[in-house]
Amino acid sequence: MKIKILAFGILADIFGKSEWTIENIHHTDELKKHLEYLYPRLKSMKYAIAVNLVITSGNFELTDGAILALMPPFSGG
Amino acid sequence: MTSKKIKKVFIEGAITPSFIADAIAKHSTKKDIGAHSIFLGQVRNDVINDKEIKAIEYTAYNEMAEEKFHEIREIAFEKYSLTCMHIYHSLGRVNSGEISLFVFTSSKHRKDSMEACTYIVNRIKEEAPVWGKEIFEDESYIWKQNTP
Repeated sequence: MKIKILAFGILADIFGKSEWTIENIHHTDELKKHLEYLYPRLKSMKYAIAVNLVITSGNFELTDGAILALMPPFSGG
Repeated sequence: MTSKKIKKVFIEGAITPSFIADAIAKHSTKKDIGAHSIFLGQVRNDVINDKEIKAIEYTAYNEMAEEKFHEIREIAFEKYSLTCMHIYHSLGRVNSGEISLFVFTSSKHRKDSMEACTYIVNRIKEEAPVWGKEIFEDESYIWKQNTP
């Protein structure tokens, strides 16, 4: 099971990349835990998770081929 | 998603005064319009820790942003009695003093165009997945934070 991850704004700086693929992650909580372990700075950051263009809330189940976006607070305009 | 065509919102670089003037001029044929409202967002040269911002570089989650702009447009048309509406937002680098957001609403009477314009700008600021990187003279940067 593969998930494509996109990172934006300051999060792309923290990860040092803006697009990658991961395997064997089944829920958004599992992904958050995994990323916070690799990038401890993430724990203090506010960000939203969109799966297939829809912003999720709570622990969201991921399906194969999903596109998941990690988005810090928006600052357009 | 409706079947309506998604209108192009993003413009590479600054939105020029001539582009804005042309947009206004195009409405002279729509003679049922009695009021236009325009919001122009301009890049401000804030000074942070003695360093002046000289540009903002915008990036977006394009696919999601286009859907969000479309949704905001549809809701604004439902909520207000508008003749037409245009939204343009910059991507890439925009220097301080240049325009990065152009919202243009038109209606028969002023109340609808004025209220719709404010409504659209607020929703864009809160909901459009766009990020601004504020770049200083020495090319160092911070990530922009929107004020409520």
